[in-house]
Amino acid sequence: MHLLLVEDDPSVAHGVAAGLRLHGFTVDHAETAAAAQAALAASEFDLAVLDLGLPDGDGMDLLARWRARGIGMPLLVLTARDAVSDRVRGLQAGADDYLLKPFDLDELVARLHALLRRSAGRTMDRISHGGVTFEPSSGQAWLHGEPVELSRRERTLLATLLQHPRAILSAEQLRDRLYGLEQEVESNAVNVHIHHLRRKLGSGIVETVRGIGYRLGSA
Amino acid sequence: MNSLRVRLLVIIGASLVLLWTAVAAWMMVELRGELRTALDDRLAASARMVAGLALQFPTESLSGGAAAKPLLDVVARDGLACEVSLVRGEVSVQKVARTASSPALDDASLGYSTGIYGGKLWRIYVLNQGGLRIATADRIDAREALLKDVALTAAVPFAVALVGTLFALWLGIGGGLAPLERMRHALAQRRPDDDAELPHGPVPRELRPLVDTIAHLLLRVRSTIARERRFTDDAAHELRTPLTAVKTHLQVLRLALARNKDAPEVKEALAHADDGVLRMQRTLEQLLLLARLDGGDEVDPNLCADAADAARQAVAEVEASWRTPGKVTLDPGQAAWCVRVPEVLLVSAMRNLLDNAVRASPEDAGVDLRIVSGSDGQVRFEVLDRGPGLSEEDRAMATRRFWRRSKAAGGSGLGLAIVDAIAKRHGGSFSLAPRVEGGLQARLELPAAA
Repeated sequence: MHLLLVEDDPSVAHGVAAGLRLHGFTVDHAETAAAAQAALAASEFDLAVLDLGLPDGDGMDLLARWRARGIGMPLLVLTARDAVSDRVRGLQAGADDYLLKPFDLDELVARLHALLRRSAGRTMDRISHGGVTFEPSSGQAWLHGEPVELSRRERTLLATLLQHPRAILSAEQLRDRLYGLEQEVESNAVNVHIHHLRRKLGSGIVETVRGIGYRLGSA
Repeated sequence: MNSLRVRLLVIIGASLVLLWTAVAAWMMVELRGELRTALDDRLAASARMVAGLALQFPTESLSGGAAAKPLLDVVARDGLACEVSLVRGEVSVQKVARTASSPALDDASLGYSTGIYGGKLWRIYVLNQGGLRIATADRIDAREALLKDVALTAAVPFAVALVGTLFALWLGIGGGLAPLERMRHALAQRRPDDDAELPHGPVPRELRPLVDTIAHLLLRVRSTIARERRFTDDAAHELRTPLTAVKTHLQVLRLALARNKDAPEVKEALAHADDGVLRMQRTLEQLLLLARLDGGDEVDPNLCADAADAARQAVAEVEASWRTPGKVTLDPGQAAWCVRVPEVLLVSAMRNLLDNAVRASPEDAGVDLRIVSGSDGQVRFEVLDRGPGLSEEDRAMATRRFWRRSKAAGGSGLGLAIVDAIAKRHGGSFSLAPRVEGGLQARLELPAAA
């Protein structure tokens, strides 16, 4: 899952990013509203975590601007200010959820998965597709009921495909979701992970759309 | 008696009732006197009329009593008793006739008298004229009944008027107090955290000062509440942010340890958590210092902190914490200054100023700390840096709690607030000024010890 973290405190940002990465998210971090805008223009994100106090503007304004432009990704607001009015304002501006600092990393992860589930219209944590079952929160996959060991990138790849079951994703889009914007990767890195995923879950799991990209296969 | 309305009604009502009762009593006394005179006059007039009529008859015809009868009936119709007698010699009196209601009045003395005859109290007038003795009499209880009737006739409208007055008073006082009542209502309706203004409306001249005072008070309370709210909000933010960092990094640490003991995340998370704890500790210490300065006991007038010593200590601490030996140049001045501030606070104030200066100044530029003689008996500490300086707007905001030029600049945002609080608390002053050649000059003046 490709996640945009907008947080100005470097230490908090570093911790949240590290924690989310350990939970299998691909995290890009922006320290300012301007950097967040730039990141959003450069890539697609599955969800965002937004701190309200930003040095170059209120996070709430940023949020309202995004929603006005029709950017509908699930968004969780982090805030250290507990005034009820702040929270209400955040939700009204278009946040899907909020967490008060200091929060529990596990709770943040659980809420993010819940947001993803909701945005994909699912009510259950597990996704079943053909013979494949996948649990995004734990990253565990099963093929015909048998557990399958997946690497971190493979899990992210599978989760991305399952999150957008009908979309055709370009190699570039998949690369952003696997590695984020900052990491330099070799051009065939995505191909390697698709190859591994097909080997473990059956060749039908990823379908190649020639000249455009990939999408979830019929498995 | 908590109600102003009841109080006014009781005071005014009681005065009115008392006054009118006194007037009524006075009138009753007068009335009784007048009535008595009038009735007495009637007794005398009746006696004279009977005498005048009787004298027209020959004495002989009178002694039979038959001739006197009809003329006594005239008197009796007026409710009077009358007795006619013939006077024969000094002591002998012969009764001629008397009205039916009349008792024997033969031993009543001449003129007016009051006495009991036939078991009843009578008012009697006796006239001696031309050998005739005419006695006319009124029953006292009849007179009293008459007086009572007259008094009652006067009293009923009086009582009605009094009750009406009290009622009008009640309404009038209520109407007069209406603006006060409106204000009371408006104040009673307010919730404690309500910061709206009092409703506007016409206010009587007498209430204007009260309304103005209340409005002014509310305004002050409102600004205090707003300031406190902002302060707690800022304090919460400043404490929660490092706490979040610590908590998150500890959780990352746990996750990383569970997977791989030697992961690079382990070391990083530990360092970040340490850092967060340090930040929180610093913010907490400064908050506590501020709280102590705010509360504050009396300043001991005998305090004497050596300015140069404190400055040297602050310089050493700042240079150690920034790991920049020789960054600060100290000029302790000519005289040995002694300042009326606890030494700990003096060091703390200077360390905060130096911290800011070192943080702001470029790497290759030094920071100066000078101690000079200030205005009237004060010692002035000047901290000068070559940083970007502050705009006039920023300089005005700089001593506000949790104010920072930018978040990225670091610091708790409490340093200058503390310096300002120390200065104010001990009778000194603190100001910021731009330097002509660029940079910022912080001036702290504190009173010298006597």
